[in-house]
Amino acid sequence: MRLILEVWRQDGPDAHGSFETHEITDATPEMSLLELLDRLNHQLVDNDQEPVAFESDCREGICGTCGLDVNGVPHGPEDNVPACGQHVRSFRDGQTVRFTPFRAKAFPVVRDLIVDRTGLDRIIQAGGTISVDAGTAPDADTLLVTHDDAERALDFAACIGCGACVSACPNGAAYLFTGAKLSHLALIPHGKEERAKRARTMITQMQHEFGPCSQIGECALACPAEIPLVAIAAVNRERLRAGFKKGKAN
Amino acid sequence: MSPEIQERSDTGQIPVAERPATTPAPRPQTWVLKVIMAVTGSVFVMFVLFHLAGNLKVYLPDDPQGHFNEYAHWLRSLLNPLLPGSTFLWAFRATLILCLCLHVYSGFTLWLRAHRLRGRHARKVHATKHHLTGRTMLWSGLIILAFIVFHLLDLTVGRVVASKEFTSTDPYSNLIHSFERPQVAVFYVAVMVVIAFHLSHGIWSIVNDFGATSHRVRSVFLFLADLIALVVVIGNASIPIAVLMGGITL
Repeated sequence: MRLILEVWRQDGPDAHGSFETHEITDATPEMSLLELLDRLNHQLVDNDQEPVAFESDCREGICGTCGLDVNGVPHGPEDNVPACGQHVRSFRDGQTVRFTPFRAKAFPVVRDLIVDRTGLDRIIQAGGTISVDAGTAPDADTLLVTHDDAERALDFAACIGCGACVSACPNGAAYLFTGAKLSHLALIPHGKEERAKRARTMITQMQHEFGPCSQIGECALACPAEIPLVAIAAVNRERLRAGFKKGKAN
Repeated sequence: MSPEIQERSDTGQIPVAERPATTPAPRPQTWVLKVIMAVTGSVFVMFVLFHLAGNLKVYLPDDPQGHFNEYAHWLRSLLNPLLPGSTFLWAFRATLILCLCLHVYSGFTLWLRAHRLRGRHARKVHATKHHLTGRTMLWSGLIILAFIVFHLLDLTVGRVVASKEFTSTDPYSNLIHSFERPQVAVFYVAVMVVIAFHLSHGIWSIVNDFGATSHRVRSVFLFLADLIALVVVIGNASIPIAVLMGGITL
């Protein structure tokens, strides 16, 4: 397969970026988009050119490291699939594929296709943790979690923090991310201890760098972990609940 | 950084963010603005439904003029003799004006925040209904705002845009005379479509902003949002059409 790649090149955070066009003549339909970029980098190195900087790690959809916009859509043309799981077969022979970094005010470009996603880390730092003395392992059946709660908590815990929701959002909002973390931790016994405090601190931090939600739903369509849109309602639910628990942690 | 997070950082409970939030904490907070939108929006949804019920009196089979004018008079003297004269009417108007100011202020502030925080990037988005209605809320809102001014001048105050035959004693004849002007009738019908768009997305947003996470509640309101929008547009827009076609006459 022959593909024309338009790749965003930017030397550093303050440098002026632009698109660079390359042709790949030996792409195969089963290649992932990251392998396509690998192929491009081999070609660039062979021609004594600087390879394209992009992030990847596990390449099996569980780490959330890979993140880039493909033809303006986070991760690529398929809904709910990370870039590493998207394949060249989504494109026609001879098609132009445009790679850009994730797009949001909160995600400044570090280099080429790599963006600084520490804004999401700061939301987690603000309260997406559990700080209780768990002691030694409890006896069986002393800490009961219903099957439904465990399943729902796991569904929200599936968020890999890739930032696609922010890039997909026309408002640059991180509601889906924050809502997934809040919902996940509010459902399990240890997390409940700091439920109200967490809602206050995480949502305050979220508002520093990320936009307001307009319930458009782009985030849930982009999310490779298939976090449902209900996570968005959880943000306001948790914050309203915290408002009624003035001064209390849980 | 908010005092809440600053305090936690100082005590060393969490490491200070490597690149702390660079923007000042937005005041009023985004979630507060969203709740204000939801509360005032709910008031308007209720108002629009009651307004529709009153409007539909023009379709009563015998003496619609009498029924309609009686209803209009009843509105002005509501809660008499407990409250003298038009006290209730003015209290009601004051509440609506306050809600309108809060709604417009919150909506505009959120729009500015979204505009700033999404960065200067184009988004390629899915062609969903929520995309069409959600991203045009500011514009549909501004059209509705202009319509409110027009509508009050036309049928309440009776100045500038009102029909030549306007009288302060016969609201029914004012309505007929106003809608007998084709351009005014078309304008009313067009604005009703815009209101339906605004309502459909607005009611869905209210559900999210009040933090409704139950599957049943969300499904019911997702349906109700479209149903209410449809009822409002059909109920109201049919009146100018009926007047033009001679279905409703003096």
